[in-house]
Amino acid sequence: MKRSFCNLTLFLAITVSTTLATANAAEPFVVAPAEIRLTGNFERVQLVITQADESGKTSDRSADLTSEATFSTTEPSVVAVDEHGQLLAVGNGETKLTIKVGSESVEKLVVVSGIEQHPTSEFVRDIAPILTKAGCNMGACHATQHGQGGFKLSVFGFEPEADRDAIMRDRHQRRANMVAPEQSLFLLKPTMTVPHGGGKRLAPKSVEHQTLVNWLQNGAPAPKKEPAIVTALSVYPKQRVGKQGLSQQIRVEATYADGTIRDVTALALFDSMDEAMLDVSDTGFVRTHGQGQASVMVRFEGQAGIAMFVVPYDNSVELAGWQNNNFVDELAEKKFRELGIEPSPLCDDATFVRRAFLDATGTLPTIEQTAAFHAKTTPNKREQLIDELLGMTGNPLLDIHNDNYAAWWTLKWSDLIRNTSNGGGQEQAMWSMHNWLKEAFRTNRTFDKVVRELVTAKGSTYSNGPANYFRIFGNTTDLTESTAQLFLGVRLECAKCHHHPFEKYGQDDYYAFSAFFSRVGTKRSEEFGLFGNESVVIVKTSGEASNPRTRKRMEPTPLEGEPTDHPLDRRIALADWLTAKDNGYFTRSIVNRYMGYLLGRGLVEPVDDLRSTNPPTNPELMDALAKHFAESGFDLKQLIRVIMTSRLYQLDSQPTEQNVLDQRFYSHFHVKRLPAEPLLDAIDQVTGSPTKFKNLPQGTRATELPDAEYPNYFLNTFAKPRRASVCECERSPDENLVQALHTLNGDTLTTKLADKNGRIARLINEKKSPEEIIQELYQAALCRPPSDAELKVSIDYAKESTTPQEGYEDLLWSLMNSKYFLFVH
Amino acid sequence: MKLRHLSVVISLSLLLPHLAAAQTGYPMVMSLKPTALQVGTASEIEFHTRYSMFGAYQVLVDGEGVSGEVLHPEQKDGETPSLTKMKVRFTADAAALPGVRDVKIATPQGISTVGQLVIVQDPVVYETAKNNTRDQATELPIPATACGVIEANEDVDYFKFHVEAATELNFHVRCSRLQDRIHDMQQHADPMLTIRNAMGGTVAASDNHFFGDPFLSVTFDRAGDYFLEIRDVRYHGNQYWEYSVEVTNRPFVSNIYPMGLPIGQETSIELVGTSLPENPQSKVILPADTSAGPVWEQLTFNDAVTNPVAAFATTLPVTLESDADNTTPAGSQQVAVPAGINGRISEDSDVDCFRFEAKKGEKYTFEVRARRYHSSLDPYLRIISLDGKQLSENDDLRDFKRSFADSRIENWIVPADGEYAIEIRDMHLRGGGSFVYFIEATKAEPHFQLYADTDKTLLAPSSNGVVFVQVERKNGFTGDVQLHIEGLPEGVEAVCGRILPDKGRDGCIILRAAPDAKRSVGNVRISGTSSWKPTDDAEPLELEAVASVYQEMYQPGGGRGHWPVLSHTVSVGALQDVRTVKLSDQDIILKPGESKKIEVTIERAEGFDKNVSLDMRFFHLSEFCNTFPPGVTFDESKSSKLITGKNLTGHVVITAAADAAPVDRQLIPVTANVSLNFVMKTTFAADPLWISVAPSTE
Repeated sequence: MKRSFCNLTLFLAITVSTTLATANAAEPFVVAPAEIRLTGNFERVQLVITQADESGKTSDRSADLTSEATFSTTEPSVVAVDEHGQLLAVGNGETKLTIKVGSESVEKLVVVSGIEQHPTSEFVRDIAPILTKAGCNMGACHATQHGQGGFKLSVFGFEPEADRDAIMRDRHQRRANMVAPEQSLFLLKPTMTVPHGGGKRLAPKSVEHQTLVNWLQNGAPAPKKEPAIVTALSVYPKQRVGKQGLSQQIRVEATYADGTIRDVTALALFDSMDEAMLDVSDTGFVRTHGQGQASVMVRFEGQAGIAMFVVPYDNSVELAGWQNNNFVDELAEKKFRELGIEPSPLCDDATFVRRAFLDATGTLPTIEQTAAFHAKTTPNKREQLIDELLGMTGNPLLDIHNDNYAAWWTLKWSDLIRNTSNGGGQEQAMWSMHNWLKEAFRTNRTFDKVVRELVTAKGSTYSNGPANYFRIFGNTTDLTESTAQLFLGVRLECAKCHHHPFEKYGQDDYYAFSAFFSRVGTKRSEEFGLFGNESVVIVKTSGEASNPRTRKRMEPTPLEGEPTDHPLDRRIALADWLTAKDNGYFTRSIVNRYMGYLLGRGLVEPVDDLRSTNPPTNPELMDALAKHFAESGFDLKQLIRVIMTSRLYQLDSQPTEQNVLDQRFYSHFHVKRLPAEPLLDAIDQVTGSPTKFKNLPQGTRATELPDAEYPNYFLNTFAKPRRASVCECERSPDENLVQALHTLNGDTLTTKLADKNGRIARLINEKKSPEEIIQELYQAALCRPPSDAELKVSIDYAKESTTPQEGYEDLLWSLMNSKYFLFVH
Repeated sequence: MKLRHLSVVISLSLLLPHLAAAQTGYPMVMSLKPTALQVGTASEIEFHTRYSMFGAYQVLVDGEGVSGEVLHPEQKDGETPSLTKMKVRFTADAAALPGVRDVKIATPQGISTVGQLVIVQDPVVYETAKNNTRDQATELPIPATACGVIEANEDVDYFKFHVEAATELNFHVRCSRLQDRIHDMQQHADPMLTIRNAMGGTVAASDNHFFGDPFLSVTFDRAGDYFLEIRDVRYHGNQYWEYSVEVTNRPFVSNIYPMGLPIGQETSIELVGTSLPENPQSKVILPADTSAGPVWEQLTFNDAVTNPVAAFATTLPVTLESDADNTTPAGSQQVAVPAGINGRISEDSDVDCFRFEAKKGEKYTFEVRARRYHSSLDPYLRIISLDGKQLSENDDLRDFKRSFADSRIENWIVPADGEYAIEIRDMHLRGGGSFVYFIEATKAEPHFQLYADTDKTLLAPSSNGVVFVQVERKNGFTGDVQLHIEGLPEGVEAVCGRILPDKGRDGCIILRAAPDAKRSVGNVRISGTSSWKPTDDAEPLELEAVASVYQEMYQPGGGRGHWPVLSHTVSVGALQDVRTVKLSDQDIILKPGESKKIEVTIERAEGFDKNVSLDMRFFHLSEFCNTFPPGVTFDESKSSKLITGKNLTGHVVITAAADAAPVDRQLIPVTANVSLNFVMKTTFAADPLWISVAPSTE
């Protein structure tokens, strides 16, 4: 059966709901697990004690009492318990465990079985997790390329045979003492009995230490051919809501392939995903010290999960004046209420028109366009403007921004798809891809079709734009990793060499996914003449992908799916899966990107790193947008429209005192620096001095540039991507000193301000009054008129200047160096 | 100069006053401005060339119905202008077939390289001087053919036209394709066509449709003014990048189905293209004297004739793909081979299978004709067993030095008695109305194909030239090939060599213009014949092939490339820098192990003192043709190949290896070459040299 992401979502939802446990009516708190069974030597169980309400129920707002509780047992020969509520199997039998919190107490039955006098330990199940927990097989320790001190382990223990050999056989078996196992160098080092560069990693006589000794005592058996594999990880609780300072003990259960469920809290790794909000100990004890929402990432043997913590900013909020324009607002409102955040009010029209133009088309509105918007009195004029910007009115006389829209989003996706001419050598091919993208955005081709055309592309790199996907990503590795990151938001590259550290994907997953591309090749063609140098992408009839470690031939398999194929081109099967409406990874990755583009921050950040351990800030909004996107037939304009018409998008960027700390939940519009190309276009437009780009006719705007690199200092300074990576991070949104110095002192602005054919020269030549000139400069640069005070100061400044030209240049220079010009507010 | 020779030159000059003084050149057509001519009209068209075309006297136009007359510029007394622009008055009959014609100009320095002229149905409108912005757009009344040139980097040309509501127009650009046959055009245009509305918004755009050229069919919902924008997609430009854009409201037929037409039989066909109603049908009958091969047909539809569309005339019994499911070998359609199979890959991922019966050891050839005839199909052909096992496959075929997207499986040997299937699909799993194909499924018979390298030979009175011919042997043919040439201009004689049997690959024909040969030009037919016995006791097969002609192309970096053209042209022009090349011996017999030296004497034109290099092969960076018999070589180290300055003599040494096999009178060219540039050279041939190798006496 094919397991879909939708089903996974459902599974998670059910899992969350099950965390809302019920105590026995008489019990004042709930003990997890409900039944306490320990099976086998060295087995441990972590208890979590949760306060119950009067009806004996708990919720995600229920307090964790584990750290306050005391634990005692009647039979220490059966089970041992420490002050943190961790049980250790000692001997076969049953015993009563008493848990006290204050004056209340609860008794639980503990059953221990499987304890043997001479237990055996299995490498993958028992030994490898200890090495991982101790950090021995981390990249910074013995899993570096050459190991440490000659002792080399595989990354996160994903090559158990090699690790066992490294312990037992390497360096003439010096690390293991089979006569006196406790004297093994392998144990003396981490316990610091002898000097160890990595410090103390293991407590003598600890359960972990005893387990390792036991393994050695039994002859250090090699990993089983079919070892116990962890197939799922369950983290309790899934979510916790409370006040600043709340604490929570986490417990973790692993499900093995044979159905066995095991408490692995003591062996799991815990990481805070936002240290500004919470800390987590090695034993899974969490304490919050900030407000907002953050998660703890839990990892164990190739599986990962999270526990979410929410600390509201306020107990209750009014959301005064809030009106829901669409479902985006409904779910944003819900989140605001959950987090106690009061959003900022709506931005004014001047801010909106500038924001909408720049976000939808990458273009600053002209004075006339701004004025036309202000002149409108219709109540839905913002919605009308969005439709015009997106070319959705159906009237060619109104849809005049469609080419700008297409150019802007072509630029965005050209960066991501890394379309370049490779220094000019592939110019026709680069243009082919560029024109195909532009056509797709101009005609609003549905995005599933765009992606399908890309991943199944064949034919001439000159005539069939998407075929260049296979020119750009010219090998299976690039295709696999780029496709996963671009259209699933999954960063798969780690899994090429070892199991992904934060995800469930291993080498089998990687190479099974790469098998979709294993039959792609190219042939030459002379259809563009003897010198055409055209390349034609073809699908060969053979070609496979294999796991290089196991040499196992991998069937083409989607991530978390079942093998699938197509007799003529296996990429068709990939496209079918990839663009299926129920492929939540696809829809979520795209809507998350667009949330990021429009609102300055994705629901998941980085926007192209979606994984279970990096949850969205508003999962319901993410799911709703994804559903809307799929139901719209993957219509990008509809997606942009639903976001831009939301109240959430139209909020003021000025934070309130109440929401100033929020940077993740959209309570106020996230101020964004104009990217390189729109900024240069804006400067050109305001100064009336267009930039001429190499090999492109005068009038070509920076947002229309097809290639990656141009000899333009401004664009390079403002981080126009060189298209070397599919990562969104290649276009850095951050401002820096060099950029500031360039707009302040660089020649780009100075030259354009002084252009004899520029705006200022024209206004002076037209003998406009100082007031008219200043009005126009403000309107052009800031999309608003000057205030009376600004006007007066400006007129005075112009009068005092050596020449009017100089005065106006200084004024416009200062406007264009203002944050209001350089940023989208 | 000896007096005797001087007297000859003087007398020739008197006899042929039209022949200018010696001046080695290479008349090279770069472009025609405008590049289009309307049927039923006459118009002046400017040729842009490299090397002077001064003295041009005749225009050769491929096909019927179009002729040209050189318009001579005014000439000042005593001046010989360097003429790199010249005008020709072309006339196209009303019945002339629209499409592209090869054009050559005959000059005293020989026949020019190929230029291309587009014959169109609608008036030609050439771009106005400044039409690089919409507000300066050239007015274009429709229907019309917009012509112009993407003359410089960043050039964008605009034409403005008006349409009424609900108008459908077809825009057919020819530009990139017109440059394939231009001898030295190392970067081709890659035009891009955009239709914009009055506001400048994009209505439709096309980059590449017919290879590098765009095509658009646009329905205009609203009446109004619109703009046709054309540029190079990269914003590159070149003074020679002329274009034509046919803008019509008539149907545009890109293909017909079926495209394989039986000669002499009426065939019902479906028209495929734009601005056509549902299921457009017509009928066609090829005259009984039609030669098998590609044809361009104008079809009658709705009481009008369509644009010409490519088809393939065949003498094979023709089968049409049935409507039944034939996507698997098991369900495939039965055909009897030999057959011509018409089919169509009608939708994405469609596969067509045809089964045939064959006996073990039989040999078959399967050739798909599709992409070469404007089908959208890039065929992928397989022969498979009925249980789907692949027995042979081919994607792209290669003829001589060029590859084509069509497929060919040649000389496939049947492994066992039984049924097999021909499977065809698009290499890229596309399909649709225009994905038509015609498969020639035939018994594989021994034969040969000939290729002429190059497409022109320049002669002057009393001088010799050489034509090199190469053979490709097919299906076990090992015989020798006797070469022939027909259609020579008056006063020109040929000595035809042969291509030796077995591994023999090259042969040549030496042409000689009589001392009194007049200025003349003609397209020739080069062919070869062989009477060959497959086995000693078999009846001889009488085989013949006509040579395909390949012109030489100036390759980036200085190499020699080849590109197919329609004809080889022989011309008699002015006296050249090298008047004659004489050999001390023209018929030599070598014993195995023996070398012989032949003195070579050239006659230089007065004042000509450039280096002349001697050769006995066709060589430029690498060897292109070598007619020597096995074991006999041109001994370069012992030869004196370079005749410098005013020197007149050199020598060549020929050596027979000790094990050289006997051969009787093989024709070898001795050439004297004058370099024009890094690649091109003018080749003068000596009188024929016959080389024989005597049987070994040991």
